[in-house]
Amino acid sequence: MSGLLGVLALLALLALGVPIGIAMGAVGLVGLTILIGPEAALVKGSVVFFESVTRFELGVLPLFLLMAHFCFAAGASRDFFSAAAGLVGHRRGGLALATIAGCAGFGAVSGSSLATAATMGEIGLPEMRRRGYSTAFASGAVAAGGTLGSLTPPSGALIVFGIIAEQSIGKLFTAAIIPVVTQTLLYMATIVILCRIRPSIAPPSPRIPWAERGKAVLRVLDLAALVAVVLAGIALGWFTPTEAASIGATLSLVLCAIRKRLTWQSFCEALGRTLRTSGMLYVVIIGALIFASFMSFTGLAEQIAALVHRLDSGPTATIIVIALLLLLLGSVLDGLALMLLTAPILLPITTALGISPIWFGIFFVRTMEIGFVHPPVGINLYVMHSIAPDIPIGRVFKGVLPFLAADFLHLAMLIAVPAMALALPAWLA
Amino acid sequence: MDAMNPEKRSKRGPLFYIGAGGLLAMMVVETAAVLGRHVGIPVTGALEIAQACIVFAACAAMLVATLQGAHAAVHMLTDRMPRPLQRHVFRAGSVLAGLFFAALAAGSAWLAFEYWDSYEQTEVLHIPFRPLRAVVTLAAALASLAFFHRAMRAEQKP
Repeated sequence: MSGLLGVLALLALLALGVPIGIAMGAVGLVGLTILIGPEAALVKGSVVFFESVTRFELGVLPLFLLMAHFCFAAGASRDFFSAAAGLVGHRRGGLALATIAGCAGFGAVSGSSLATAATMGEIGLPEMRRRGYSTAFASGAVAAGGTLGSLTPPSGALIVFGIIAEQSIGKLFTAAIIPVVTQTLLYMATIVILCRIRPSIAPPSPRIPWAERGKAVLRVLDLAALVAVVLAGIALGWFTPTEAASIGATLSLVLCAIRKRLTWQSFCEALGRTLRTSGMLYVVIIGALIFASFMSFTGLAEQIAALVHRLDSGPTATIIVIALLLLLLGSVLDGLALMLLTAPILLPITTALGISPIWFGIFFVRTMEIGFVHPPVGINLYVMHSIAPDIPIGRVFKGVLPFLAADFLHLAMLIAVPAMALALPAWLA
Repeated sequence: MDAMNPEKRSKRGPLFYIGAGGLLAMMVVETAAVLGRHVGIPVTGALEIAQACIVFAACAAMLVATLQGAHAAVHMLTDRMPRPLQRHVFRAGSVLAGLFFAALAAGSAWLAFEYWDSYEQTEVLHIPFRPLRAVVTLAAALASLAFFHRAMRAEQKP
């Protein structure tokens, strides 16, 4: 009962605009005070606070953010798009394909859905509109492509999940690779099919000479090598995720300097943005950990797990119900709030059913991604609308629908074939 | 000086330099540790140095986010409220945030006091925990003050 009241209180505070981390931490502290007394609650909260800010593994977050900001300063977003546009831009729907590829590439250095959608939207959307693409189709492609940023390793969402669920961040990154590739391919297939059905939505562009294409591809080789070193290093056990983040940040700084994009201004801006975002994430994580302590004392997760066990519905049916619940909550809550609110409750349930926490992390982030593009919140859709205010939000919603269908198909594939996420970590282990 | 308004406040104050210094030091130490390990010259206690650096980076980062009003929140409902009601709700949110950080500061101070004589330190380099506990307590207290200050003004989203 106290657990349920805690969840309701949290939802009320979130609805009233209280910062996510503070809402979770405050509910957790008050809940712990009621359950174990004020003294123990204060000590518990302070221990979580101190352990979080001294935790070496948490250093992975600011360092990967720093890598992203240095890459951004080095012009990564435009270069990824230019390379993909050079290769396939002349085909019907080619610029949309280039946007998806650019999103996957930039997602690997940004680790954030919002940043990917906003950045690629600034670059890809005006270009597609200039070439006569349908506004609904173009904005839908960028909004959907932006979601790749959440799952593409090194992903911020996976790092937060790994910390909350106490799972290996390296394994989560490795497990995300096949789902990201298949998601990208499904989006591309959606574009090709849409262009076959209605060729007018994406006219072909003039072909670029091979020499220019080569130059565009060469410009991203260093960035691609950076991402490859970081991911291969983690997957092959050369270094831990925190060390990989340090290597990534150092290499991206060097890369920024080699590209002659490193100025005192850009250096300080990258650091300032990193501090601001990591500060926000630290508060969210501390709040979530205090809330998770409270939840573990309430026994809510165990009660739900027992209920699920009594229903004897099996892992697949349970996962489908969880997916529906996450999609429903994801339509009113933002991704981070959704993860932090539900992961401490859902994870023990799925673990009791014998579901791998690594697979669950990938499934969770994938479901969360869908929330970025489905109404009524669909934050990426509003990002598109803010980049191009003359495109009505209804047209952005209409444009994203086919990609949403691809998302549901992909989610179904992930549920039906868990090996999509689990094969690579098992193989590399 | 207007510490609560990101538009007016200098972006490169002491907090920026403390946080950026911690972050860059951690980056350099960890990179050196990886390179050292692969070329056979291990950096002794790199993890402990990084751990100390992250305390400064994390505490400064939380304060930067607080002072710049950058904490993640859901504004779907509050954005539709009338302006006066919105102001009251933001003020209440800031008070709650101030109380939350005040509780963490009080708890951290209590723990620091309890462990003060136990000479907590890291295993390899013997980095003392006392200053780290003091930094964490100070950061929570400053964050609390910043939120209470915001509650008194109630002009910005928390």
